Amino acid sequence: MSPSEIAIDVDGVEKEFRLPHEQQTTFKEYFLHPMRRTTVERQQALQGITFTVEKGEFFGIIGPNGSGKSTLLKVLAGIYRQNAGTVRVDGRLSPFIELGVGFNMELTARDNIRINGTLLGLTRREVRERFDEIVAFAGLERFIDQKLKNFSSGMQVRLAYSIAIQVDFDILMLDEVLAVGDQEFQAKCFETLAAIRAEGKTIVFVSHDHGAIRDHCDRTMLLHDGRIRAIGEPEAVLSRYDEIVHPVGTPS
Amino acid sequence: MLSVIASAEFKLKYAGSGLGYVWSVVKPLALFTMLYLVFGRVFHLGTLSPYYSVSLLIGIVLFGFFSDATILALISIVARESMIRKLLFPRLIIPAAATLTALMTLLINLTVVGVFIAYKQLTPQLNWLLIPFLLLELYVFTLGMGLLLSAVFVRLRDLLQVWELFLTLFFYASPILYPVGYLPPWGRRIVFLNPFTQVLQDIRAIVLYPDLATNRITATDAFGTFGRLIPISIAVATLVVGYLYFRRQQPWFAERV
Repeated sequence: MSPSEIAIDVDGVEKEFRLPHEQQTTFKEYFLHPMRRTTVERQQALQGITFTVEKGEFFGIIGPNGSGKSTLLKVLAGIYRQNAGTVRVDGRLSPFIELGVGFNMELTARDNIRINGTLLGLTRREVRERFDEIVAFAGLERFIDQKLKNFSSGMQVRLAYSIAIQVDFDILMLDEVLAVGDQEFQAKCFETLAAIRAEGKTIVFVSHDHGAIRDHCDRTMLLHDGRIRAIGEPEAVLSRYDEIVHPVGTPS
Repeated sequence: MLSVIASAEFKLKYAGSGLGYVWSVVKPLALFTMLYLVFGRVFHLGTLSPYYSVSLLIGIVLFGFFSDATILALISIVARESMIRKLLFPRLIIPAAATLTALMTLLINLTVVGVFIAYKQLTPQLNWLLIPFLLLELYVFTLGMGLLLSAVFVRLRDLLQVWELFLTLFFYASPILYPVGYLPPWGRRIVFLNPFTQVLQDIRAIVLYPDLATNRITATDAFGTFGRLIPISIAVATLVVGYLYFRRQQPWFAERV
């Protein structure tokens, strides 16, 4: 494999959160006890993370809650700065790890498309040009001038997803996003993901939906307690997940 | 991106309220009316000059901008917590949009000031063209403070209380209610260090050109011919420091907010 075929190269990434037990964030504490070091709990969120994702790959990440999946995505996106290790990304990475960030319930769907699209890096003109496509894909033509607070959560996710896929990227990161939409919309989403792949783009997909991982991913990685516990064929990784997270014979 | 966010915030500020944008005019006018009655009439400051009312209104409107913009900017990063945690985009946009939102309110309020100026039959002079540059200087100073405050607030949550108190003191320490000529020379040298006072007095001196000389004292009277350069440098330095501090802190915003 030549290096040019690698989309994401992660080498020895460590992320540690310092969680002060008594946060020293008020003036009073600062002035009364300027020298007192609050006890800090170090939480090792990611340890020795090394892996690569090839271009055009549909790469799944699974793991129980709190295993470091979202932290890893945030490090990849540049939202968090890692304490050690390197992340090399070849191509434009989608800047969001969750859909509908910055949606405002008091504004109409129309305004939210403009704002969210802009936040995701589209120019005003691109938003205008892609506006109809976004609305049509979401299937929300009738509701476009309604305030977002009158939308169901499923409708909001549809709108958010429709905006997100209009953003120009080479690598798409999705964190547990499709769970809310109905069956029909989910099917539509996987169709678009297939189309995105057909263009040679890379997808990093975090999910608890083992069925979706099994059906769509080329390779999957299992995270547990901030470490990589398995990486490879989805089927093998999923059975490893069951061994680690739900060990047979231990009552849970 | 900046303008889309700023105009959305401006829209949101008045979303759902019946009077909408009118509120941005009502607030400074109500404050003005009360202060004019108390200080202009009860304390007879209004008898000094026929332009006391316009002078006071200019002060209130400019102070309102500084106060609104810095408070909006201060809370902006912490208030957009979920956006910061989940999306990568230039963080600078957030406090900058907050100050721009306040700037839009200022422009609306300036039209009210314009009405007062017309009522006093002050005719536009060529040097009124300097006003946009003075407002730009005030914006530079305000943006610098806003960037600094927003980044510090992420670490020090008491800052909002401290800043609100500071703004109240700032209001009385600046020559908004009283003519700057009432201060002794050493007092003038202190207040003119503040870019806000320099801008305020320059605008008053230009706009209220027939007013008494003591009401039209500017930074040049306090510090000499090039005296204006002192508060102007302070305004620029504030922006530079604010920007550099913000840039140094921003990689950690996502895990600290």
